[in-house]
Amino acid sequence: MRVETVWLGRGGQGIVTATYIVANAAVIDGFYALANPEFGAERRGAPVKAFLTIDKSPIEDQEPVKTPDVVVIFDDKLIDTMRFAIDAVKPGGHVIVNTAKSPEEMKKIIGRNDVYLVLLDAVGIALKHVGLPVPNGPLAGAFSKVMGFPRLESIKTAFETQLGKAVEENFAATKEAYETALVVPPERVEQAAKPKGVISTTSAFLTGPYEIVGWPEVSKAGAVFPGSSLFYATGGWRLEKPVIDHSKCIMCRKCWMYCPDDAVVEAWKEVQGPRGRVFRMKVIDFDYQYCKGCAVCADVCPTGAIKMVREI
Amino acid sequence: MTAQALAPVEKKVAQRRIALTGNHAVALAVKMCRPEVIAAYPITPQTPVVEKLAEYVNNGELDAEYIPVESEHSAMSAVIGASAAGARTFTETSSQGLGHMYENLPIAVGMRLPIVMGMAVRTYSAPINVWGDYSDVMSMRELGWIIYIAQSAQEAFDTVIQAYRVAEDSRVHLPAVVAYDGFWTSHVLQPLDVPEDEEEVMRFAPITRSWVRLDVDNPAQLGAVGTPEWYWEVRWQAVEALRESQKVIEEVDEEFGKWFGRRYGLFRTHRTEDAELVVVTYGSLYGLAKKVADRLRQEGVRAGALRLRVIRPWPGDQLKKALEAAEKVFVIDRAINHGAYLQGPMAMELAATLQRPVYSALATIGMRAIDSDMIYEAALKVLKGLWAPNQTYTIGLRGGYE
Repeated sequence: MRVETVWLGRGGQGIVTATYIVANAAVIDGFYALANPEFGAERRGAPVKAFLTIDKSPIEDQEPVKTPDVVVIFDDKLIDTMRFAIDAVKPGGHVIVNTAKSPEEMKKIIGRNDVYLVLLDAVGIALKHVGLPVPNGPLAGAFSKVMGFPRLESIKTAFETQLGKAVEENFAATKEAYETALVVPPERVEQAAKPKGVISTTSAFLTGPYEIVGWPEVSKAGAVFPGSSLFYATGGWRLEKPVIDHSKCIMCRKCWMYCPDDAVVEAWKEVQGPRGRVFRMKVIDFDYQYCKGCAVCADVCPTGAIKMVREI
Repeated sequence: MTAQALAPVEKKVAQRRIALTGNHAVALAVKMCRPEVIAAYPITPQTPVVEKLAEYVNNGELDAEYIPVESEHSAMSAVIGASAAGARTFTETSSQGLGHMYENLPIAVGMRLPIVMGMAVRTYSAPINVWGDYSDVMSMRELGWIIYIAQSAQEAFDTVIQAYRVAEDSRVHLPAVVAYDGFWTSHVLQPLDVPEDEEEVMRFAPITRSWVRLDVDNPAQLGAVGTPEWYWEVRWQAVEALRESQKVIEEVDEEFGKWFGRRYGLFRTHRTEDAELVVVTYGSLYGLAKKVADRLRQEGVRAGALRLRVIRPWPGDQLKKALEAAEKVFVIDRAINHGAYLQGPMAMELAATLQRPVYSALATIGMRAIDSDMIYEAALKVLKGLWAPNQTYTIGLRGGYE
């Protein structure tokens, strides 16, 4: 028995914590476990890949998981960029997804009929019990449900050790997920079949649109030139997006001043006056390609014109 | 993990299994060793250690003076002062933090202070890179510190306890550093066994206070001038003590095994007895080296693996014996020895020790990702003669020497 898992999410969603909690709970249950996240940018919103291996005997070969038994996806917006991981799941394995989408739609998106599909609205459950969009507790619950370990009680103890706070709230979320996660069994599993692909051993950073050059071509002294942040479409990091009610906006531009990412923009909007004249007026808009959803704009808005709306 | 230790002997101390990251395992071991003064400055990836220790002190679990110093230079200065006053001390750092305390590192040696320092290793900037390789600790090799490199959270925990006992032994009186992989050990959650009763740790490693220290009743000056007529002799005592410390390190390790059921030795070997190829490395990478050796064995190659654990004092004679029969010694280094004949620091030392060419490669620099397949491919190149000895190759460098 050796279960190899990969957990995919974004910084700030508690993905590393989730693997720590499940690993800790597994150790309480008498297993050996190794939670070895791929240590990337360590910043909120950046894609994160974490490995968790559970075994009955000691685990000394600490390396990236290549063909997981289980993939856990924290954010259904990550499916396309992380498809390589879904393809690498062993036939008969499990794909656990945090999503509010319907099973039919999800089945189509995942595109595999030889794995168990486990669906739950982990963010919704987390918001309900914890009040924060941190889906780690619910996903641990779904994991326990389909794998048969670790025991729920052990997960609770692990919350106490790993979080030391909001234990009851998180555990309530875990329990609800355990009870309500939807399991869609595979249509067929060929026992001898191999996964379609393997997760290649790369750095967490090789996700940008860069030309991956060798040492002779790389920028001397690692010098970085202006405009490099344009390559990062940081909009993918969002859990919530700002939406503005123009009727309340007084164009004070505080949001524009405070936005750390130049994602608040002044745009021209064509409007029609009361007597039919068409003219252009300035309005505040958001560049969702770069907006990370940090909510600073909503926070500083003096009239409450900006509201954060859940995206996943 | 227990399987990484030598076969358990009689285990006296009752233990319980918990799960911790390497950093928190080190913090717990330090707490059980009851240092009286801790001075530290946080730096990634070591930060959780000093945070946890601050928490222990703050909530009364550890009765120590915790000095939240403004820099690593001050951290080392403070523990030197406290140790000179007779206190058991602890500090921890990584990378540039070590660089910042560098000026004080040889002073701890010259003053013969049994300071124990943890190190979640991290490469040196620039470019800024907070991730793990062994550049920092390797730059300490010439200073006179005892240097341990641990593989796992369990071993880091055990080694901190051993280090106090060794450092404070009257035959030693030298500072010791316990290094372990930044991130790959420091931030990886894994099971470990810890004593049920913390007192057992203090029974195993009681504070000896046997070192030369400041005492108002018997006034003395420490750190005084050593003119050309005296410096060398004073310093030579530290040289001899470091050499002698090897015996103490082994003794303590053996006794630790009797108490806690885990022993590690000066270095670890895996199927090296009849090996034609031995893959040598250090830190968490050893598990993969072992996996590769097993895979090669299945394919009919007599392969083995060796992990360096105590690199200062250098166990030259023992390594010579362990490796003399191996036709090919392949050293995978995790730090760059810039400009040396071999760019791998441990490859250089092993070549000097064995007095014959070794195979050398660099890997995991700046924590470049690695897996056992990559090590396997490299080992095959050595076996097939595609890689030559006396040259340094790279595993994972784009455009590198593969």
